Amino acid sequence: MKTIKNLFAATRLKQEFADRRNKLYRVAYSWCHNTALADDLVQETMLKAMKKADSLRDQATLDTWLYRILLNNWHDYLRVQGRNVELYDVGDESQLEHVDNYQQSQIVGRVRSSIERLPMSLREVVTLADFAGFSYAEIAEIVDIPIGTVMSRLFRARQNLKKQLLDLAGEGKIPVKLLRVK
Amino acid sequence: MNNKTYTDEKLNLFIDDQLDTDEKDEIRHSILDDSELRERVCQLKAVRELVAYAYEKVPESDCTNGQDKSLSSRYLWKGIAASLMLAIGMLTGWVVNDAAHSMELASAEDVFQYYKHTEQVDRAERKIILHVTTGDISAVNGALDEAEQLLASYREAGTPMKLDIVTYKEGINMLRVGVSPYVDRIEELVEHNKNVSLYACMRSIDKIEKKEGKPVVMMEKAVTDKSAQELISERLQKGWIYIKV
Repeated sequence: MKTIKNLFAATRLKQEFADRRNKLYRVAYSWCHNTALADDLVQETMLKAMKKADSLRDQATLDTWLYRILLNNWHDYLRVQGRNVELYDVGDESQLEHVDNYQQSQIVGRVRSSIERLPMSLREVVTLADFAGFSYAEIAEIVDIPIGTVMSRLFRARQNLKKQLLDLAGEGKIPVKLLRVK
Repeated sequence: MNNKTYTDEKLNLFIDDQLDTDEKDEIRHSILDDSELRERVCQLKAVRELVAYAYEKVPESDCTNGQDKSLSSRYLWKGIAASLMLAIGMLTGWVVNDAAHSMELASAEDVFQYYKHTEQVDRAERKIILHVTTGDISAVNGALDEAEQLLASYREAGTPMKLDIVTYKEGINMLRVGVSPYVDRIEELVEHNKNVSLYACMRSIDKIEKKEGKPVVMMEKAVTDKSAQELISERLQKGWIYIKV
């Protein structure tokens, strides 16, 4: 009976993981800007999550638990590559065919390249907050830093992005600029 | 409360819904009376929305199974597109900013509806410069798509619009007879839209003539009596919106 229960639990957990796969992939992509790498990171995360399922005490923390595994995999990758702070050369941002419309692709490209210029610690926090929608407390749990550090990283990331998205428009460093001068 | 008493850290907490009710209410009240504070909050929200939308749709890996079908609907993408435009607008200041409403924007759908509403109620003439500086065929094609989209959107919204296409450096090839593959398309665009004008930078023409050692033949409708710099600075001083390709 216990075996059957465990089997059901495992199946349910697998389904929970599968439901979250797409978002995990997109978050991983926002960090590495590389489709194959993002896919590898998510695959690895899924495998580790299945193996470590027993260590998940509270089902309500599934998301933070999964993203923490994903982040650890990403940091492991950076360590192996010897680039544990910055990462500029794995991106495949020239490939924007997935964005349907010309105008959209220009804006999306512009925002992504601004995010890509952020130091990795800021990039991780800002995408977890603004794209994945985690609270400060959850981000602190995922990244394993104090909430105050989450706040200061988020502040710096947004200031930086705001500046880049305004300044780049005036400096001609991006393909399409949208600017009002009055 | 004075705008200067709120740091950006505090405003981040506000937009991320990390403050308690009293603090949130206090900022909300201040926003109503303080346009500068409103603008700061709007800019932070714009950055947050841009990050969110930049990764709503990413290229799939060859190995990726399973797609989030809910994200592929055309309607949502319209919303995302509008949101991106709105967020960029909030950031650069070229969207008329009804901050009291935009403060409440939460989803792509909301933003799209807000954008539509703003478009419908704000019928002042839009004046746009499309500055083409590249001879790259796909970029020129994209610029023409952009021009047609802008014209169609404003026509649909019933908003008057004036569009000046200003070409510069290699961009003048777009308007060169015998060089541009788009001459017929551009002629048709100008023929059907009396609000579209074509300009080729006088200095760029001179330079290319010197380089090629022969006269540069431009389309009949292209005005060639000023430099792009003059044309653009005149318009910017009058508040035109500038889009560079």
